[in-house]
Amino acid sequence: MGKIFRYECRRLLWNKFFIGLAVVLLLYGAFVLHAVTILGVAHTAPFSPWSFGDYLSRMMPLLWIGMLFFLTFYTSPQARRTAILTDAAPMPPKQYVLVRCAAALTGGVLLSLLCMAEAAVFYGRMFRWYSWGSLLLPALVTLLPALVFALGSGWLLGRLRPWLVYVWMAVPFLLAALSLPEAFGLWNGSFFTAHPLTLGVLDPDFVLPAAVLAAQLLLLIAGILLLQIAFRAAVPPGGSITRRAVRR
Amino acid sequence: MELNIQNVSMTYPNGKQALKGLGLDLRSPSLIGLLGPNGAGKSTLMKLLVAALTPTAGTILVDGQPLEKAERQLKARLGYLPQDFGLFDELTVTQFLDYMAALKGLKQPKAAIRAVIQAVNLEVKARVPIRTLSGGQRQRVGIAQALLGDPPFLIFDEPTVGLDPEERIHFRNLFSRTAQDRLVLLSTHIIEDVQSVCDQIVVIHHGQIRFTGTPEQLIASAAGHVGVFWEKDETQEQGLHITARVNTSQGVRCRAVADQLPPYVQAEEPTLEDAYLYLISREAAQ
Repeated sequence: MGKIFRYECRRLLWNKFFIGLAVVLLLYGAFVLHAVTILGVAHTAPFSPWSFGDYLSRMMPLLWIGMLFFLTFYTSPQARRTAILTDAAPMPPKQYVLVRCAAALTGGVLLSLLCMAEAAVFYGRMFRWYSWGSLLLPALVTLLPALVFALGSGWLLGRLRPWLVYVWMAVPFLLAALSLPEAFGLWNGSFFTAHPLTLGVLDPDFVLPAAVLAAQLLLLIAGILLLQIAFRAAVPPGGSITRRAVRR
Repeated sequence: MELNIQNVSMTYPNGKQALKGLGLDLRSPSLIGLLGPNGAGKSTLMKLLVAALTPTAGTILVDGQPLEKAERQLKARLGYLPQDFGLFDELTVTQFLDYMAALKGLKQPKAAIRAVIQAVNLEVKARVPIRTLSGGQRQRVGIAQALLGDPPFLIFDEPTVGLDPEERIHFRNLFSRTAQDRLVLLSTHIIEDVQSVCDQIVVIHHGQIRFTGTPEQLIASAAGHVGVFWEKDETQEQGLHITARVNTSQGVRCRAVADQLPPYVQAEEPTLEDAYLYLISREAAQ
């Protein structure tokens, strides 16, 4: 299991795409930090959880694309042709899917950490501010549900039709263009810029309304459920992982 | 190792019936050549044997156990080279084989990898990324992964496709050596490969088994049905299935198979290819 995981991580993380995406992510991150975050959002400090959350929300479309792109390593027609070989091996298919899922999630987490590390360096250099602990909550509620949902939904869509994963990459852009209710404000980033203004104080503490928390929990649970469905679809009872793909 | 295929049928969701009531017993040690025209059902049979497909009817027994229950045990003893397969292009040959060794749960992967790399003559390319390999070299990586861990049951679907004649002979001999203590199922269009190494032949046509036996038995079945003649006009070819036409200084010399040879055709000793073509042409005529 450990060796497969290491090889999968190597496949996902040691290639031109990952390096290119990391560079784009860092450049875009630097642009956001220097053009938007430095001013602070909703009259809060640049290093407030609100400003940091806004920064992460702006990075989310790229992180979402990165996460889904990792999945294309497993759902592309080329990957399906390789699965004919791997499927003939005795490793239990559920374990194999789990290892690959973990590798994709590791890729997503690494990209997220890269964004956060860039912000940390920015805060240190610009403001000599190092209290990163206060930023963990906005990072967790913004990134975790979205990445798990991207993994679950992307895996399932990729197994249905490989090209659906590419279509799915456009979702954050679509959400950004929509005016969502406040409860879903974390889905397009509007929460971080709009909610502090409704609290009636200057530089308010970071609080999550119950409705927003519920929406994020819902997203996380939906992601986990989709992953379970995807596992079951990949491994029919008593069957092998590519059986459906081969049939098709 | 023993496999019993009992009355197996396979109909795809699009309605195409690939196999019809197929019955076959495979026992080690043996090197079995699986022959048949394109679309005969050979690859479907192989996919059923590696549990990549489930038969729509019938049962496959692995050492007396139904395949559904013995899938993992079968895969633990299986080496499979499909006709069409992909590799992880970003890994090197050694890394890919190490990956496959981990999937197969091999205890001493390094020695096993060294052995198969040597067996398929890929020592020079062992540390280069797979994406840089030629078609023939990729095919050899496919063969290597199938041989990893010395599995007692090997399935090769068109293994010599893309290999040059010298490599083909090398692998033919490798399969022959491998089959001394194992069960090897070899599907190919190259009759020469089958003739030189297989001790048993299975011919599939239209999803049904048309022949099982030794190559000698298949050749004997075509005795008196193979001949040669000098081509004079096209009407001569009626009722004959021409298997070869050779332009010579004296004219065109034809080799043909038929149920009944006309008087102008001089009978010849059949080869395995003649016998196979005779069998298939007879089936087509029926």
